[in-house]
Amino acid sequence: MTSVILETSSASLRRNFWRGVWRVMKRKPSRMAGVLILIGFAFMATAGPLFYPDNLPRDVNNTYGPMTWEHPFGTDGQGKDVLAQVVTGSQYVLLSALVTALITVVLGTAIGLFSGFKRGRWDTVLMRLTDMKLTIPGLPLLLVLSTVWKFGSAVEMGLVLGLLNWGTVARAVRSQTLSLRERGFIEAARGLGLSTGHIIGKELLPTMAPYIAMNMLISVTGAVYAQVGLFFLGVLPYEADNWGVMLNLAVFGGGAMTTAAALPYLLAPLLAILLLTLGIVLVVDAMDEIFNPRLREE
Amino acid sequence: MTAFLRRLAGHVARGLAMIFVVATISFFIVRNIPGDPMLALYEKLVTSGMDPAAASQAVRVAYGFYPSGSLWEQYVDYMGGLLRLDLGTSVTNPGAPVTGVLAEASKWTVLPVLAGTLLSFLVGVIMGVYAAVRRSGRLGDILAISGSLLHGVPQYVLALLLGAIFGTTLAILPTDGTADILIEPGFTPEYIGTLIEHATLPVLTYALASYGGWILAMKSSVVTVLGDDFILAAELRGMKRSIVFRYIARNAILPLFTILAISMGLLFAGAVFIERIFNYPGLGLMLIESVTNRDYALMGGAFLLITGATIVANIAADLLYTVIDPRVRSGEEAAA
Amino acid sequence: MTAVRIDGLTVVYKTPLGELPAVRDVSLELPAGSITGIVGESGSGKSTLALSLLNAVQPPGRIAAGSVEIGGLGDIVGLKGERLRQARGAKIGYVFQAAQNSLNPLKTVGKQLLDLGRSHGVADLRALVREARELLGRMGMDGARVLDSYQHELSGGMRQRVGIMLALVLNAHVVVLDEPTTALDMITQATILKIIREIHAERGLTTLVITHDIGVVAEVADRLAVMYGGRLVEQGPTREVLASPRHPYTRGLIRAIPRLTGDIGLAQALPGRPPTLATVPREGCVFRERCPLRMEVCESVDPPSAAYGERLVACHATAMAGATREETA
Repeated sequence: MTSVILETSSASLRRNFWRGVWRVMKRKPSRMAGVLILIGFAFMATAGPLFYPDNLPRDVNNTYGPMTWEHPFGTDGQGKDVLAQVVTGSQYVLLSALVTALITVVLGTAIGLFSGFKRGRWDTVLMRLTDMKLTIPGLPLLLVLSTVWKFGSAVEMGLVLGLLNWGTVARAVRSQTLSLRERGFIEAARGLGLSTGHIIGKELLPTMAPYIAMNMLISVTGAVYAQVGLFFLGVLPYEADNWGVMLNLAVFGGGAMTTAAALPYLLAPLLAILLLTLGIVLVVDAMDEIFNPRLREE
Repeated sequence: MTAFLRRLAGHVARGLAMIFVVATISFFIVRNIPGDPMLALYEKLVTSGMDPAAASQAVRVAYGFYPSGSLWEQYVDYMGGLLRLDLGTSVTNPGAPVTGVLAEASKWTVLPVLAGTLLSFLVGVIMGVYAAVRRSGRLGDILAISGSLLHGVPQYVLALLLGAIFGTTLAILPTDGTADILIEPGFTPEYIGTLIEHATLPVLTYALASYGGWILAMKSSVVTVLGDDFILAAELRGMKRSIVFRYIARNAILPLFTILAISMGLLFAGAVFIERIFNYPGLGLMLIESVTNRDYALMGGAFLLITGATIVANIAADLLYTVIDPRVRSGEEAAA
Repeated sequence: MTAVRIDGLTVVYKTPLGELPAVRDVSLELPAGSITGIVGESGSGKSTLALSLLNAVQPPGRIAAGSVEIGGLGDIVGLKGERLRQARGAKIGYVFQAAQNSLNPLKTVGKQLLDLGRSHGVADLRALVREARELLGRMGMDGARVLDSYQHELSGGMRQRVGIMLALVLNAHVVVLDEPTTALDMITQATILKIIREIHAERGLTTLVITHDIGVVAEVADRLAVMYGGRLVEQGPTREVLASPRHPYTRGLIRAIPRLTGDIGLAQALPGRPPTLATVPREGCVFRERCPLRMEVCESVDPPSAAYGERLVACHATAMAGATREETA
């Protein structure tokens, strides 16, 4: 009886939820744009490389070429088309971001739930750990790690970033679990005779899913920046058609900080990063309003 | 006051523990590098015909120490050195103690980071108040969106964009080093001028990188305080607008001090990029160069110092908070 | 003599459904030197009415019609800017709900008192502090210590007394107390009510007490006004109203009070729920949905306030009963 009531109400909740999403999206068209941008990037990463040959043609007579119809963002130091490099390079960026996201969510949620549920000693240990992780600046740590670890493939890069990243999500999930516990949510479910698995899977996770998703998106942006940044600093082995490597070559090879010739080469990957950030910021902004009705202004 | 001292002592103890952990981590990372560079050098010297004892001595001179004894003994050695502020000798700057190299470098990081934080804090807080008061208006929207964008964009992107605009396109600001090498260093207007000129872009980047965070934090904080009962109460008691404004400002700024620490930590970490891009010889550049040159003693030291700076910033921010909030000051933890 | 005259006051709130009235066409007089209590359930518009007395209805609300004449000030609805600010605090004191924190958590009570003095151009701040200390002493507290305390160092009852002190220290002669004892324990509640009564008498104040607790009103008020759905449905001398309520809502309210003696089953809860801003009827009687005496005329015609001696009642049924009684007489 109770479960029937619970289910029907959750179904109607879900319907209301999607209606709410649509309303929030419609109210500010910029949010729609954010979703479109993210879809565009996903398309670029999956289908983009198919449009170009594996080895982009070089043109020694046209190095650091200007922006033309043929080369919308000019050419690099070897005369290769910059736009093509951005498109093919997106695969590495987004693939490693995906791996990071997966690890972050799975590890972060599991550990956060565990810690919030069990509390006690494990909780203290976990919080000390994430505290420390939050205090140790991530990038310098990655730099030091790069002397030991080679970050060969996108998957490997994503793995390392994910392992360094789960703390934020774990903390967020933990505090949500604790606050639900505070509100008597878990005790009430126990009182109804529901199993722990059911409470977590059917009651807690759905309540926290949006929260987790938001934190994940934010931590993914961080991961994208970190890996592009590592390549930009030039401490990792050279990788063809990589946004970070492009930035590095533009600044330290093409002298983009002093001469104008390499500017398009510098700007193309920068614009890609900015666009990706914009997309994520807009989507997070929309999610924020969907899930925090308090933020809605009158 | 005793509560304050107890808090301070607690922080210092925790900070020292953190530094100890970080030092341990960096020790083991350095010791576990595949293809030990010191061993490689030693073997190279021995195979080139040098006497093993002399080769060991030569490596000791080059690296400041030679890994002799068990890992445990090395660890105790390293920690002992740390206590005496002896972090070994840098390979890239032959013979120079790491401590001295870092001390020289840290001023190029700490001063710009502090200047940038101060600048962005002032501007960001004012803009945040504005964004909160005008949150339904167009300008408030623009401020909030630009805030989240700046907050989201990584520091190297900002640095590169600023460099491309002011260094390359407009060519009005230098993007290389700390001063014009043609100007004689000294306490002269020319030299100070060139120092400021060269610091502009790094400081501006630090400022812009944290500015977004301040706007967003201040906006949400002001919105919260505006809804607080005591603000309405002050208005209903006929308090002057300027006094009510002071009530709002002081209460709204309070939570920002906890963010101050995070922000400073981010900036110290971001120094890696900003100093690399503007070729600014601070701790960040030192860290990259030591990583590229596999100068492990310097690398460990730079990493330790950057982390240490973050921890110190954390402690300072929390103590500042304690001074301002009477609830914490009197020993009772605020419910927040 | 009348100290405050509210006339035809209507306050509306802007909502997605348009502007909805929270207070509609309310007229009420507060005789000088009297304590008037306003009783109503939450959402009845009583707090909005209280804020109107200081022309301080918060956006998205606004006073749409009517006037609030205050002796020596004129119509406060017309006051703006500096003149309005100076009237607040100095002429009309406002005491917040005890459950709310009406003090700046970062400043001591004394510093906030000085801020108040400076805001109202008090020349002799020393005298102000002395006065405050005396008032706090009157309320059974150590004045010097309280002035030196932060909000978090005071208990709920103490904060409430500080609130009363701040409302009176500038010699305001009209005092509005919004739920002065909500969230306080019974003993503290009794103390606060006693203090209110004493200081009221001592200073010759004109006091308005807003509450949902009919017991509070019975304790302190000379006159009683009952609010429902933004309307004043009945008003008159407290004893009279409590002894023989004429409006069906007032009757229901009184019947709902459990007695200390007698059968608990005699206490009957009012059926139904009070209306919200959105559900309150736009025309006709606001109470008809829960009214046992509902008639056809209640659907369309707003009952006017009719006088029965010192009593004002807005009810068609009461009016008819009164008319028949007069006929038979």
